[in-house]
Amino acid sequence: MNRGADGCKSLLARLIGAGLLYALPAMAQDTFPAQPGKDWPIYGGSYNNQRYSSLKDITASNAASLQAKWTYHVEGLQGLESVPVVANGVMYVSGYNRIDALDARTGNIIWRFRRKPATSAFQRGAAVAHNRVYITTNDGHVLALDARTGAQIWESKGGPQVLFAGTPPMVANGKILVTGNRFHGSDGGGFVQAFDEQTGEYRWTWRSIPDNTDPAIKTWGGHVPGGGPIWIGGAYDPDLKLVYYGTGQPNPQWSGKGRPGDNLYSDCIVALDIETGKLKWFFQTTPHDTHDYDATEIVVLADVTFKGKPRKVALQANRNGYYYILDRTNGEFLQATPFVSRVDWGKVDPKTGKGIPDPAHEPTVKGTITCPSTAGATNWPSPTYNPATGLFYVTATEGCGVNTLASSAPDSETSYLESPRDKESWQLYTRAIDAMTGEIKWDFKQIRSNHYGPGLLTSEGGIVFSPEQFGQVSVLDAKSGKSLWHYNTGDLITASPLTYSVNGRQYLAIASGTNIFAFGLPEKVQ
Amino acid sequence: MKAALTTALVICLAFTGAWAQRRTAPSGPSNPFAGNAEAIGQGEQVYNRNCTACHGPNGGAGEIGPEIVHNLSGSLRGELNDNQILEVIRNGTPRTAMPAWKGKMADDDILKIGAFLHSLRGTAIDNPLPGDVANGQQVFWVKGQCGSCHMLAGRGGLRGPDLTNIAAVRKSNSIIDALTKPNHRIYGDGGVHLSALPPMDTYDAVQINLNDGRTLDGVLLNQDGYSLQLLGSDDQLYLLDREQVKGVVTKAPIMPTDYDKRLLPGEFKDLLAFLTRQGTKPPSLSGGEE
Repeated sequence: MNRGADGCKSLLARLIGAGLLYALPAMAQDTFPAQPGKDWPIYGGSYNNQRYSSLKDITASNAASLQAKWTYHVEGLQGLESVPVVANGVMYVSGYNRIDALDARTGNIIWRFRRKPATSAFQRGAAVAHNRVYITTNDGHVLALDARTGAQIWESKGGPQVLFAGTPPMVANGKILVTGNRFHGSDGGGFVQAFDEQTGEYRWTWRSIPDNTDPAIKTWGGHVPGGGPIWIGGAYDPDLKLVYYGTGQPNPQWSGKGRPGDNLYSDCIVALDIETGKLKWFFQTTPHDTHDYDATEIVVLADVTFKGKPRKVALQANRNGYYYILDRTNGEFLQATPFVSRVDWGKVDPKTGKGIPDPAHEPTVKGTITCPSTAGATNWPSPTYNPATGLFYVTATEGCGVNTLASSAPDSETSYLESPRDKESWQLYTRAIDAMTGEIKWDFKQIRSNHYGPGLLTSEGGIVFSPEQFGQVSVLDAKSGKSLWHYNTGDLITASPLTYSVNGRQYLAIASGTNIFAFGLPEKVQ
Repeated sequence: MKAALTTALVICLAFTGAWAQRRTAPSGPSNPFAGNAEAIGQGEQVYNRNCTACHGPNGGAGEIGPEIVHNLSGSLRGELNDNQILEVIRNGTPRTAMPAWKGKMADDDILKIGAFLHSLRGTAIDNPLPGDVANGQQVFWVKGQCGSCHMLAGRGGLRGPDLTNIAAVRKSNSIIDALTKPNHRIYGDGGVHLSALPPMDTYDAVQINLNDGRTLDGVLLNQDGYSLQLLGSDDQLYLLDREQVKGVVTKAPIMPTDYDKRLLPGEFKDLLAFLTRQGTKPPSLSGGEE
């Protein structure tokens, strides 16, 4: 990356931040800063999904004095899974077809946008860039709204009709990227779809299901490919021009006999060329999956020193219990280490990273106990990475599950069940692992939590913000995991937090149940 | 007897027919034996003779067949409604071991099995289990010693949940599980997407050792990383900070889970008949039904 391009990009960022650019310059390639700072403009904070804020006002030394600053009740939605986004002091809380725009200092409503029909279906966020807010609708459209008033600028047009999966859109490379599970008129088939940022015109679609021209179709043993849903947001490398997504399970989900083979591109981390949507490389975490071990966990990008060499890596803590490190330029497998104590669905080849499922752990009519459970060693909640501590923090679930097929029919069901054995019941931890070795460094036990939900963030202030399933939020010392402060929000939390600042004041915020909470340091007494 | 039954059936059907017009019925006619305690008892017998080999007792999963009645606090994906169950019993399920019973079993028996299964799926008070209720009350207070931990209609202890309204709140098979399954907790809870913040509800028996040297015994009502809420064995509420607590030792559950063994079969059945009638049925929204 040359210095000239650097200087140009940061000037652009400053102009955009100052709201002085209302039309898009033709050469805008990197819309967001590398690290979230005063703004949190997309779901993962920045393109690399590290959720590592540059804000330093809240530190491990002063976190004990944090206080609640404001609360906003989001009418018409519940069980909020969304990460509100913030730009220029305005917070945008989204659902399908709707945005509530708030003064992020005080929680006061500035404007609301509503499009019919009203729906409370789960939707995980919006994106804000260039004075526009981008939201998704429940009939497969993206809308661009003016960030100041909510006036509609465009509705996306063109391209195959699809249904989105509630993923927040990404703004990158002059495009808006959205994802979903089901391609129109087929047995599922996840996709990533792109529209032009200026006009909303359709650009491209990538499908996780291979067509007849793709040699990957041979990995289905003659069965029609199905599944591979993509219901998680992606990461983006503006230099490599690659977007990274995780794909979900093959269909039929629990019964693999009818689809012998690896079943590509299910349970994969894929890298797509953002200009064309073409697949650049893929890495499959669970071949021939029968446990719903979706690879739809957040992919985190980092530039690190791995085993003495500088590397551009992609990191993923996967449902199947392994923490993967890949070279993100070409998908080369570097390492996989278990990040939970029991993993018995199969093995991972230490050289190639290839997963080898153990047939003894396939679901059966009698019921098979397998670790991790189908709900996973982790799931969609966001992990976070702190380059200063070298730690990767993830909401980890210890415990096993039992998978029972209703019958031997090929599309037979099972469900997300805990193991009935008490020692294998589900317990959640905020778990810090060494990002390069995978060694578990410390745990913060989320007492009483038994179901995935909340995600994490970290910052240059040396803190980890750690919400819990049953409403407690804590600030932990990023090095030691010691709790410095906590607050009980009083409702179920199943969303990831954000941090931002307005007029030099830093806030930590989280959606809990039907409310948004914002926390900050006390104002100095005059 | 047969004539009386037939007449009863005709009257039932006629009555049900009128009701069916007022209700928003699922596809298919309503089961004429629904809610009929005697028919449910007969349905249970037919079920036990023909279905437990695959599906297990009380509709829980067996060696070969899946569970029909589940214990999850959320709904199971693919759960069939009452009429769909009747269809499966009559016509079987292709490509599985489930045979078609139409022709092999009288349709009345099929309907009674349906009514029995429904009784396990609704809350207990809609379809109380058969037995000698008065004897069950005796078993509850005397041989069962249930009042030593449970309140019922204002009498009894505080350590366990109040059973005054238990039948209106819980399903019959969930009540059976509480009496018979060790370490009873809602199996599969981890897999459930909760829609509201629940109390802890597991009534864990604990010994809490405090930093000041005291020890408290009791039932843990709630806890998180920062506080604990305990009902002491002295029936007092203790509100504790995690910082005060040196350690929490989980003890064996206070609730016995072998009532099907420590009671005679008749006593156990009668206890269930008593328990599945404890409560106030919520008023019907459409007035006059049920």
